[in-house]
Amino acid sequence: MISINLNLVWNIINLIVLYLLLKHFLIGPVMKVMEQRRQMIEEGFKSAQTAQDDANRLKQEYETALSGAKQESVQLIEDARKSAKAEYDRIISEAGEKADTMLESAKESVLIEREQTMKELKSQIAGLAAASAAKIIGGNADDKESRDLYDQFLKEAGEGDGNADK
Amino acid sequence: MSKSDAQTAQAHQSDPYRKTDKGGSNTGNLTETLMEELNCETVFTLPVVGGISESVVVTWILMAMLVLLSIIFVRNLRVENPGKVQLALEAGISWAQDFFEGVIGKENRRYVPYLITVLLYLAAANTIAPLLGFKPPTKDLNVTAGLAIMSMCLIEFSGIRKNGLKHWVKHFAQPIPVVAPIMVLEIVIRPLSLCMRLFGNMLAGFVVLELLKFFVPLIVPIPVSFYFDIFDGLLQAYVFVFLTALFMTEEME
Repeated sequence: MISINLNLVWNIINLIVLYLLLKHFLIGPVMKVMEQRRQMIEEGFKSAQTAQDDANRLKQEYETALSGAKQESVQLIEDARKSAKAEYDRIISEAGEKADTMLESAKESVLIEREQTMKELKSQIAGLAAASAAKIIGGNADDKESRDLYDQFLKEAGEGDGNADK
Repeated sequence: MSKSDAQTAQAHQSDPYRKTDKGGSNTGNLTETLMEELNCETVFTLPVVGGISESVVVTWILMAMLVLLSIIFVRNLRVENPGKVQLALEAGISWAQDFFEGVIGKENRRYVPYLITVLLYLAAANTIAPLLGFKPPTKDLNVTAGLAIMSMCLIEFSGIRKNGLKHWVKHFAQPIPVVAPIMVLEIVIRPLSLCMRLFGNMLAGFVVLELLKFFVPLIVPIPVSFYFDIFDGLLQAYVFVFLTALFMTEEME
Protein backbone atom coordinates (compact mmCIF):
# COMPACT_ATOMS: atom_id res chain seq x y z
CA MET A 1 0.00 0.00 0.00
CA ILE A 2 2.60 2.54 1.03
CA SER A 3 5.67 1.94 -0.99
CA ILE A 4 8.21 4.01 -2.83
CA ASN A 5 9.14 2.58 -6.17
CA LEU A 6 10.07 3.58 -9.70
CA ASN A 7 6.75 5.37 -10.09
CA LEU A 8 8.31 8.19 -8.09
CA VAL A 9 10.60 8.87 -11.03
CA TRP A 10 7.70 8.77 -13.49
CA ASN A 11 5.81 11.25 -11.35
CA ILE A 12 8.74 13.62 -11.23
CA ILE A 13 9.09 13.37 -15.01
CA ASN A 14 5.36 13.93 -15.32
CA LEU A 15 5.60 17.02 -13.18
CA ILE A 16 8.46 18.46 -15.19
CA VAL A 17 6.66 17.75 -18.45
CA LEU A 18 3.47 19.28 -17.07
CA TYR A 19 5.43 22.32 -15.98
CA LEU A 20 6.90 22.80 -19.43
CA LEU A 21 3.55 22.21 -21.12
CA LEU A 22 1.61 24.57 -18.88
CA LYS A 23 4.31 27.18 -19.08
CA HIS A 24 4.15 27.02 -22.84
CA PHE A 25 0.41 26.76 -23.26
CA LEU A 26 -1.13 28.57 -20.33
CA ILE A 27 1.07 30.74 -18.16
CA GLY A 28 3.34 32.06 -20.89
CA PRO A 29 0.62 33.34 -23.22
CA VAL A 30 -1.55 34.72 -20.45
CA MET A 31 1.34 36.55 -18.83
CA LYS A 32 2.44 37.80 -22.24
CA VAL A 33 -1.00 39.21 -22.94
CA MET A 34 -1.16 40.83 -19.51
CA GLU A 35 2.30 42.28 -19.98
CA GLN A 36 1.34 43.58 -23.41
CA ARG A 37 -1.76 45.19 -21.99
CA ARG A 38 0.24 46.71 -19.18
CA GLN A 39 2.73 48.11 -21.69
CA MET A 40 -0.08 49.41 -23.86
CA ILE A 41 -1.65 51.22 -20.96
CA GLU A 42 1.68 52.61 -19.92
CA GLU A 43 2.35 53.78 -23.45
CA GLY A 44 -1.08 55.38 -23.56
CA PHE A 45 -0.35 57.23 -20.37
CA LYS A 46 3.02 58.27 -21.66
CA SER A 47 1.69 59.53 -24.96
CA ALA A 48 -1.11 61.36 -23.20
CA GLN A 49 1.48 62.97 -20.95
CA THR A 50 3.60 63.91 -23.96
CA ALA A 51 0.59 65.35 -25.77
CA GLN A 52 -0.31 67.39 -22.75
CA ASP A 53 3.23 68.62 -22.38
CA ASP A 54 3.25 69.59 -26.05
CA ALA A 55 -0.03 71.41 -25.69
CA ASN A 56 1.25 73.27 -22.64
CA ARG A 57 4.44 74.17 -24.42
CA LEU A 58 2.55 75.42 -27.47
CA LYS A 59 0.23 77.41 -25.26
CA GLN A 60 3.20 79.00 -23.58
CA GLU A 61 4.69 79.82 -26.95
CA TYR A 62 1.47 81.31 -28.20
CA GLU A 63 1.09 83.36 -25.09
CA THR A 64 4.62 84.65 -25.43
CA ALA A 65 4.05 85.41 -29.11
CA LEU A 66 0.77 87.10 -28.32
CA SER A 67 2.22 89.33 -25.64
CA GLY A 68 5.13 90.10 -27.97
CA ALA A 69 2.69 91.06 -30.69
CA LYS A 70 0.79 93.25 -28.30
CA GLN A 71 3.97 95.00 -27.28
CA GLU A 72 4.97 95.33 -30.89
CA SER A 73 1.66 96.83 -31.87
CA VAL A 74 1.88 99.29 -29.03
CA GLN A 75 5.39 100.15 -30.16
CA LEU A 76 4.20 100.53 -33.74
CA ILE A 77 1.38 102.84 -32.78
CA GLU A 78 3.74 104.83 -30.64
CA ASP A 79 6.22 105.09 -33.49
CA ALA A 80 3.53 106.08 -35.93
CA ARG A 81 2.24 108.70 -33.55
CA LYS A 82 5.73 110.03 -33.03
CA SER A 83 6.50 110.21 -36.71
CA ALA A 84 3.12 111.76 -37.43
CA LYS A 85 3.76 114.37 -34.79
CA ALA A 86 7.19 115.07 -36.21
CA GLU A 87 5.73 115.41 -39.67
CA TYR A 88 2.99 117.68 -38.36
CA ASP A 89 5.48 119.84 -36.56
CA ARG A 90 7.66 119.95 -39.61
CA ILE A 91 4.78 120.94 -41.86
CA ILE A 92 3.56 123.56 -39.45
CA SER A 93 6.94 125.10 -38.99
CA GLU A 94 7.56 124.99 -42.72
CA ALA A 95 4.27 126.68 -43.37
CA GLY A 96 5.05 129.29 -40.76
CA GLU A 97 8.43 129.90 -42.31
CA LYS A 98 6.94 130.15 -45.74
CA ALA A 99 4.33 132.58 -44.53
CA ASP A 100 7.02 134.63 -42.83
CA THR A 101 9.12 134.77 -45.94
CA MET A 102 6.12 135.60 -48.04
CA LEU A 103 5.16 138.40 -45.67
CA GLU A 104 8.71 139.64 -45.65
CA SER A 105 9.00 139.66 -49.39
CA ALA A 106 5.65 141.35 -49.70
CA LYS A 107 6.77 144.02 -47.27
CA GLU A 108 10.00 144.39 -49.11
CA SER A 109 8.32 144.72 -52.48
CA VAL A 110 5.94 147.27 -51.04
CA LEU A 111 8.87 149.20 -49.67
CA ILE A 112 10.74 148.99 -52.94
CA GLU A 113 7.69 150.11 -54.84
CA ARG A 114 7.24 152.99 -52.52
CA GLU A 115 10.80 154.03 -52.84
CA GLN A 116 10.55 153.75 -56.55
CA THR A 117 7.42 155.89 -56.57
CA MET A 118 9.09 158.39 -54.30
CA LYS A 119 12.03 158.45 -56.59
CA GLU A 120 9.83 158.97 -59.59
CA LEU A 121 7.86 161.63 -57.78
CA LYS A 122 11.02 163.38 -56.73
CA SER A 123 12.36 163.40 -60.23
CA GLN A 124 9.07 164.61 -61.53
CA ILE A 125 8.90 167.31 -58.91
CA ALA A 126 12.44 168.22 -59.67
CA GLY A 127 11.63 168.39 -63.36
CA LEU A 128 8.54 170.43 -62.69
CA ALA A 129 10.39 172.66 -60.40
CA ALA A 130 13.07 173.13 -62.97
CA ALA A 131 10.51 173.70 -65.73
CA SER A 132 8.53 176.08 -63.61
CA ALA A 133 11.69 177.89 -62.61
CA ALA A 134 12.73 178.19 -66.24
CA LYS A 135 9.33 179.41 -67.10
CA ILE A 136 9.43 181.97 -64.35
CA ILE A 137 12.90 183.13 -65.24
CA GLY A 138 12.60 182.90 -68.99
CA GLY A 139 8.89 183.85 -69.50
CA ASN A 140 6.99 187.08 -69.05
CA ALA A 141 6.46 188.21 -65.60
CA ASP A 142 2.77 188.21 -66.06
CA ASP A 143 0.74 188.03 -62.95
CA LYS A 144 -1.89 186.04 -64.51
CA GLU A 145 0.40 183.59 -66.09
CA SER A 146 2.52 183.19 -62.99
CA ARG A 147 -0.54 182.68 -60.90
CA ASP A 148 -1.63 179.94 -63.26
CA LEU A 149 1.74 178.38 -63.08
CA TYR A 150 1.66 178.33 -59.30
CA ASP A 151 -1.67 176.81 -59.28
CA GLN A 152 -0.64 174.20 -61.70
CA PHE A 153 2.46 173.51 -59.71
CA LEU A 154 0.67 173.29 -56.52
CA LYS A 155 -1.99 171.17 -58.02
CA GLU A 156 0.51 168.84 -59.47
CA ALA A 157 2.51 168.80 -56.31
CA GLY A 158 -0.64 168.17 -54.28
CA GLU A 159 -1.64 165.45 -56.60
CA GLY A 160 1.80 164.03 -56.37
CA ASP A 161 1.74 164.19 -52.61
CA GLY A 162 -1.66 162.62 -52.47
CA ASN A 163 -0.53 159.85 -54.68
CA ALA A 164 2.51 159.29 -52.62
CA ASP A 165 0.59 159.20 -49.39
CA LYS A 166 -1.93 156.82 -50.65
CA MET B 1 -19.93 12.61 -7.97
CA SER B 2 -18.08 9.36 -7.55
CA LYS B 3 -20.83 7.31 -8.96
CA SER B 4 -18.58 4.39 -9.85
CA ASP B 5 -17.20 4.22 -6.34
CA ALA B 6 -20.68 4.21 -4.90
CA GLN B 7 -21.62 1.51 -7.34
CA THR B 8 -18.65 -0.63 -6.34
CA ALA B 9 -19.58 -0.15 -2.72
CA GLN B 10 -23.10 -1.23 -3.50
CA ALA B 11 -21.81 -4.13 -5.49
CA HIS B 12 -19.84 -5.16 -2.44
CA GLN B 13 -22.91 -4.94 -0.31
CA SER B 14 -24.85 -7.12 -2.67
CA ASP B 15 -21.95 -9.52 -2.77
CA PRO B 16 -23.29 -13.05 -2.29
CA TYR B 17 -20.23 -13.89 -0.15
CA ARG B 18 -21.07 -11.10 2.25
CA LYS B 19 -24.73 -11.96 2.35
CA THR B 20 -24.17 -15.53 3.39
CA ASP B 21 -21.55 -14.75 6.01
CA LYS B 22 -22.29 -12.04 8.53
CA GLY B 23 -20.43 -10.89 11.65
CA GLY B 24 -16.73 -11.69 11.54
CA SER B 25 -16.48 -11.86 7.82
CA ASN B 26 -18.07 -8.40 7.60
CA THR B 27 -14.99 -6.72 8.99
CA GLY B 28 -12.84 -8.89 6.81
CA ASN B 29 -14.84 -7.79 3.84
CA LEU B 30 -14.50 -4.14 4.83
CA THR B 31 -10.78 -4.46 5.17
CA GLU B 32 -10.62 -6.19 1.85
CA THR B 33 -12.63 -3.47 0.16
CA LEU B 34 -10.61 -0.74 1.79
CA MET B 35 -7.36 -2.40 0.89
CA GLU B 36 -8.55 -2.73 -2.65
CA GLU B 37 -9.44 0.95 -2.78
CA LEU B 38 -6.24 2.03 -1.09
CA ASN B 39 -4.00 -0.14 -3.18
CA CYS B 40 -2.30 1.59 -6.06
CA GLU B 41 -2.81 -0.89 -8.78
CA THR B 42 -0.29 -1.38 -11.50
CA VAL B 43 -2.25 -0.50 -14.58
CA PHE B 44 0.15 -1.97 -17.11
CA THR B 45 3.70 -3.10 -17.32
CA LEU B 46 6.19 -1.76 -19.82
CA PRO B 47 8.91 -4.13 -21.01
CA VAL B 48 11.96 -2.18 -19.81
CA VAL B 49 10.84 0.28 -17.15
CA GLY B 50 8.43 -1.99 -15.31
CA GLY B 51 5.02 -1.35 -13.79
CA ILE B 52 3.16 1.88 -14.34
CA SER B 53 0.91 2.55 -11.37
CA GLU B 54 -2.57 4.00 -11.33
CA SER B 55 -1.43 7.37 -10.01
CA VAL B 56 0.89 7.86 -12.97
CA VAL B 57 -1.90 7.09 -15.42
CA VAL B 58 -4.31 9.43 -13.60
CA THR B 59 -1.60 12.08 -13.68
CA TRP B 60 -1.33 11.59 -17.42
CA ILE B 61 -5.06 12.07 -17.75
CA LEU B 62 -4.88 15.18 -15.58
CA MET B 63 -2.01 16.53 -17.63
CA ALA B 64 -3.92 15.96 -20.84
CA MET B 65 -6.96 17.67 -19.37
CA LEU B 66 -5.02 20.65 -18.08
CA VAL B 67 -3.13 21.12 -21.32
CA LEU B 68 -6.29 20.73 -23.38
CA LEU B 69 -8.16 23.25 -21.26
CA SER B 70 -5.23 25.65 -21.43
CA ILE B 71 -5.16 25.39 -25.21
CA ILE B 72 -8.91 25.96 -25.41
CA PHE B 73 -8.90 28.95 -23.08
CA VAL B 74 -5.73 30.52 -24.38
CA ARG B 75 -6.65 29.99 -28.04
CA ASN B 76 -7.79 33.51 -28.83
CA LEU B 77 -6.32 35.84 -26.28
CA ARG B 78 -6.64 39.49 -27.09
CA VAL B 79 -4.80 42.45 -25.68
CA GLU B 80 -7.75 44.75 -26.27
CA ASN B 81 -11.37 43.96 -25.48
CA PRO B 82 -10.82 40.64 -23.72
CA GLY B 83 -13.77 38.30 -23.38
CA LYS B 84 -15.29 37.15 -20.12
CA VAL B 85 -13.45 33.82 -20.19
CA GLN B 86 -10.17 35.56 -20.78
CA LEU B 87 -10.85 38.04 -18.01
CA ALA B 88 -11.58 35.23 -15.57
CA LEU B 89 -8.43 33.39 -16.69
CA GLU B 90 -6.32 36.49 -16.34
CA ALA B 91 -7.82 37.26 -12.97
CA GLY B 92 -6.91 33.76 -11.78
CA ILE B 93 -3.40 33.83 -13.16
CA SER B 94 -2.72 37.33 -11.90
CA TRP B 95 -4.08 36.42 -8.47
CA ALA B 96 -1.66 33.47 -8.33
CA GLN B 97 1.16 35.61 -9.66
CA ASP B 98 0.55 38.36 -7.12
CA PHE B 99 0.24 35.81 -4.35
CA PHE B 100 3.56 34.10 -5.15
CA GLU B 101 5.33 37.36 -5.87
CA GLY B 102 4.13 38.57 -2.52
CA VAL B 103 5.74 35.57 -0.85
CA ILE B 104 8.99 35.11 -2.80
CA GLY B 105 9.46 38.67 -3.98
CA LYS B 106 9.22 40.32 -7.35
CA GLU B 107 12.85 39.67 -8.24
CA ASN B 108 12.30 35.90 -8.04
CA ARG B 109 9.36 35.78 -10.41
CA ARG B 110 11.02 33.10 -12.54
CA TYR B 111 9.84 30.49 -10.01
CA VAL B 112 6.22 31.61 -10.25
CA PRO B 113 5.25 29.47 -13.29
CA TYR B 114 6.42 26.30 -11.56
CA LEU B 115 4.49 27.15 -8.40
CA ILE B 116 1.36 27.91 -10.44
CA THR B 117 1.80 24.59 -12.24
CA VAL B 118 2.02 22.71 -8.95
CA LEU B 119 -0.97 24.59 -7.59
CA LEU B 120 -3.06 23.74 -10.64
CA TYR B 121 -1.90 20.13 -10.66
CA LEU B 122 -2.60 19.61 -6.97
CA ALA B 123 -5.96 21.35 -7.17
CA ALA B 124 -6.94 19.13 -10.07
CA ALA B 125 -5.48 15.98 -8.53
CA ASN B 126 -7.13 16.45 -5.14
CA THR B 127 -10.55 17.20 -6.56
CA ILE B 128 -10.53 14.62 -9.33
CA ALA B 129 -12.20 11.97 -7.16
CA PRO B 130 -15.60 13.69 -6.89
CA LEU B 131 -15.36 15.26 -10.31
CA LEU B 132 -14.34 12.34 -12.52
CA GLY B 133 -14.33 9.32 -10.25
CA PHE B 134 -10.65 8.55 -10.38
CA LYS B 135 -8.70 7.80 -7.25
CA PRO B 136 -6.76 10.95 -6.38
CA PRO B 137 -3.09 10.46 -7.35
CA THR B 138 -2.03 12.43 -4.27
CA LYS B 139 -3.00 9.55 -2.03
CA ASP B 140 -0.10 7.67 -3.59
CA LEU B 141 3.08 8.37 -1.64
CA ASN B 142 5.10 8.27 -4.86
CA VAL B 143 3.32 11.34 -6.17
CA THR B 144 3.66 13.44 -3.03
CA ALA B 145 7.26 12.30 -2.63
CA GLY B 146 7.99 13.30 -6.20
CA LEU B 147 6.44 16.71 -5.61
CA ALA B 148 8.38 17.10 -2.37
CA ILE B 149 11.66 16.14 -4.02
CA MET B 150 11.04 18.71 -6.73
CA SER B 151 10.25 21.28 -4.04
CA MET B 152 13.42 20.36 -2.18
CA CYS B 153 15.51 20.79 -5.32
CA LEU B 154 13.82 24.10 -6.02
CA ILE B 155 14.28 25.37 -2.47
CA GLU B 156 17.99 24.57 -2.38
CA PHE B 157 18.55 25.68 -5.98
CA SER B 158 16.90 29.04 -5.37
CA GLY B 159 19.07 29.57 -2.30
CA ILE B 160 22.27 28.68 -4.15
CA ARG B 161 21.34 30.77 -7.15
CA LYS B 162 20.50 33.81 -5.08
CA ASN B 163 23.40 33.86 -2.63
CA GLY B 164 26.03 31.62 -4.18
CA LEU B 165 27.32 28.18 -3.21
CA LYS B 166 29.68 29.57 -0.58
CA HIS B 167 26.92 31.36 1.28
CA TRP B 168 24.71 28.27 0.97
CA VAL B 169 27.34 26.10 2.63
CA LYS B 170 28.03 28.72 5.27
CA HIS B 171 24.40 29.30 6.22
CA PHE B 172 24.24 25.85 7.87
CA ALA B 173 26.49 27.11 10.64
CA GLN B 174 24.36 30.10 11.47
CA PRO B 175 23.66 31.60 13.87
CA ILE B 176 26.02 29.26 15.76
CA PRO B 177 27.88 26.20 14.42
CA VAL B 178 26.18 23.92 16.97
CA VAL B 179 22.92 24.01 15.02
CA ALA B 180 24.61 22.75 11.84
CA PRO B 181 23.29 19.16 12.10
CA ILE B 182 19.74 20.44 12.55
CA MET B 183 20.14 22.83 9.66
CA VAL B 184 21.42 20.01 7.43
CA LEU B 185 18.53 17.83 8.54
CA GLU B 186 16.19 20.63 7.59
CA ILE B 187 16.99 20.03 3.92
CA VAL B 188 15.21 16.70 4.23
CA ILE B 189 12.71 17.59 6.93
CA ARG B 190 11.07 20.39 5.01
CA PRO B 191 10.17 18.37 1.90
CA LEU B 192 9.36 15.36 4.08
CA SER B 193 6.84 17.40 6.01
CA LEU B 194 5.38 18.72 2.77
CA CYS B 195 5.14 15.21 1.37
CA MET B 196 3.65 13.63 4.46
CA ARG B 197 1.21 16.44 5.12
CA LEU B 198 -0.25 16.18 1.66
CA PHE B 199 -0.20 12.40 1.59
CA GLY B 200 -1.67 12.06 5.08
CA ASN B 201 -4.47 14.52 4.43
CA MET B 202 -5.48 13.01 1.15
CA LEU B 203 -5.18 9.42 2.37
CA ALA B 204 -7.15 10.16 5.52
CA GLY B 205 -9.86 11.92 3.57
CA PHE B 206 -9.98 9.06 1.13
CA VAL B 207 -10.19 6.43 3.86
CA VAL B 208 -12.90 8.31 5.73
CA LEU B 209 -14.88 8.69 2.56
CA GLU B 210 -14.49 5.05 1.57
CA LEU B 211 -15.64 3.94 5.03
CA LEU B 212 -18.62 6.23 4.85
CA LYS B 213 -19.48 5.01 1.40
CA PHE B 214 -19.24 1.46 2.65
CA PHE B 215 -21.73 2.06 5.44
CA VAL B 216 -23.98 4.82 4.04
CA PRO B 217 -23.74 4.75 0.29
CA LEU B 218 -26.56 7.26 -0.24
CA ILE B 219 -26.54 11.12 -0.07
CA VAL B 220 -24.53 11.37 3.19
CA PRO B 221 -21.16 11.06 1.40
CA ILE B 222 -21.95 14.12 -0.74
CA PRO B 223 -21.32 16.89 1.87
CA VAL B 224 -18.50 14.84 3.37
CA SER B 225 -16.94 14.53 -0.07
CA PHE B 226 -17.31 18.26 -0.51
CA TYR B 227 -15.39 18.79 2.70
CA PHE B 228 -12.68 16.15 2.28
CA ASP B 229 -12.17 16.29 -1.48
CA ILE B 230 -13.01 19.83 -2.56
CA PHE B 231 -12.30 21.96 0.52
CA ASP B 232 -9.45 19.95 2.01
CA GLY B 233 -8.06 19.17 -1.42
CA LEU B 234 -7.85 22.83 -2.44
CA LEU B 235 -6.59 23.79 0.99
CA GLN B 236 -3.81 21.23 0.82
CA ALA B 237 -2.85 22.37 -2.66
CA TYR B 238 -2.67 25.93 -1.36
CA VAL B 239 -0.69 24.90 1.70
CA PHE B 240 1.78 22.88 -0.35
CA VAL B 241 2.70 25.68 -2.75
CA PHE B 242 2.53 28.34 -0.06
CA LEU B 243 4.96 26.45 2.15
CA THR B 244 7.24 25.71 -0.79
CA ALA B 245 7.33 29.42 -1.62
CA LEU B 246 7.87 30.27 2.03
CA PHE B 247 10.79 27.85 2.36
CA MET B 248 12.29 29.30 -0.82
CA THR B 249 12.08 32.81 0.63
CA GLU B 250 13.68 31.54 3.82
CA GLU B 251 16.48 29.94 1.83
CA MET B 252 17.02 33.02 -0.31
CA GLU B 253 17.52 35.33 2.66
